[in-house]
Amino acid sequence: MLALSPASNSTGDDCNGESEFLATSCGFSIEPEEEFPDFADHGDLLDIIDFDDLFGVAGDVLPDLEIDPDILAGDFSDHMNASSTVTTTSSSSEKTDGQGETNNKGVSGKGEEVVSKRDDGETAVAETVNYNGDSDRKRKYPSSGSSRNNRITNNEGKRKVKVDWTPELHRRFVEAVEQLGVEKAVPSRILELMGVHCLTRHNVASHLQKYRSHRKHLLAREAEAANWTRKRHIYGLDCTGANNINGRNKNGWLAPAPTIGFPPPPPVAVAPPPVHHHHFRPLHVWGHPTVDQSVMPHVWPKHLPPPSTAMASPPFWVSDSPYWPRVHNGTTPYLPTVASRFRAPPVAGIPQALPPHHLVYKPDHGFGGARAPVDLHPSKESVDAAIGDVLTRPWLPLPLGLKPPAVDGVMTELHRQGVSEVPPTASCA
Amino acid sequence: MRIYGMQVHHLIEECIVFNMGKEECMDALFKHANIKPIITSTVWKELEKENKEFFEAYERRREEIPTEKETARRIRDLLSRTTI
Repeated sequence: MLALSPASNSTGDDCNGESEFLATSCGFSIEPEEEFPDFADHGDLLDIIDFDDLFGVAGDVLPDLEIDPDILAGDFSDHMNASSTVTTTSSSSEKTDGQGETNNKGVSGKGEEVVSKRDDGETAVAETVNYNGDSDRKRKYPSSGSSRNNRITNNEGKRKVKVDWTPELHRRFVEAVEQLGVEKAVPSRILELMGVHCLTRHNVASHLQKYRSHRKHLLAREAEAANWTRKRHIYGLDCTGANNINGRNKNGWLAPAPTIGFPPPPPVAVAPPPVHHHHFRPLHVWGHPTVDQSVMPHVWPKHLPPPSTAMASPPFWVSDSPYWPRVHNGTTPYLPTVASRFRAPPVAGIPQALPPHHLVYKPDHGFGGARAPVDLHPSKESVDAAIGDVLTRPWLPLPLGLKPPAVDGVMTELHRQGVSEVPPTASCA
Repeated sequence: MRIYGMQVHHLIEECIVFNMGKEECMDALFKHANIKPIITSTVWKELEKENKEFFEAYERRREEIPTEKETARRIRDLLSRTTI
């Protein structure tokens, strides 16, 4: 997420005092990629703190264009008038750099035109500057007029445009990615699909990278969760009926389950048809359990997959997964979905569900899959849907919860077979 | 690699839910998810090693499928001939 480190790192030499101050006051330090602002005794901390570093990685954010015009309209009159003043004041007040090069990390919107124009005292630039900086600023903090302009106009020569990945923006991003296929999604295509003008390809590219890496973490968590739930099933649960070996549905509750053999649909206003649709709908947006019950589009950095209670020893696949944010708040919309899925296996997929004379089968291994009426001829679509589901919603629990093999074993076996590159296609799997 | 392997594992489990055999699974995963059959087969074998009893039971169950089909057919036949 953010390049934050516990209050220790201060890249700017000329502002050590300030950064420490910041660290104490904010609880963390900031690692700007550019020179740290040269703080004078301003006390205008809000301006000094580089919130863009707090809320996003530099270089992949842009001001939200939709909001800006309003802000601009409001601001312009002030800024236009004050532009020259701004310039002067900035040069004097703004820290020591005459060119306004170094500081102004405190301001988000950076644009080189700002800097140069400031030098020229162009009001046009001041506009841009205000636009860039204030768009974010205004939303978060009341503009303090000229002082804010100072920061903005003192921007570095480097272009640092920040995109505020709002939930709505992210949702569109995810939609585009889903459409293209996560592994195949190319930033330029995503951009086209999103149809948002304020994004550069670079913004999308870095966001995509983060998205993919996040997904991987989720896969890891899912595996762990699956393992944990499997163990739960084995040890805690009663069999209230499931399909026996002959495929007869003992449990009426399972009857509505789709014949593709998935657990009953999520409880929130779902009847079988939506589940079918769900499985057949290719554009399922990652991050939204179903269209119906999407409570709020999670911006994925904050998104936490439902199996937050997974605690079992991690399966082999994920023993190195460092990412373990857990959220137990009830607001995540995924909980209902996952809860239902988790609920289903306990009811349906218990070892005892299988008639003992049919399977000699140790309960330890937890045959946890829900068995809908045996589909002797799974249709291509349902298979495709199931596979697609796994790929697009990696947090879903494994239907069977088989013990994963040791990765090393798999790798050596693969090498033996002559497979050198795994995965063969994906660049970031 | 870990994540990928996990994905393949997950996919194989889904195929098993569909009562697929190893070859069918390799086929399906290749067609739908572009996973090389050799990888699917390797992961399958490893899963089998790790979950021996399950796979033994699974194979036995799969052998019965034809008889199930036959039974179902017979029942349907009988029902269609029944008049009430």
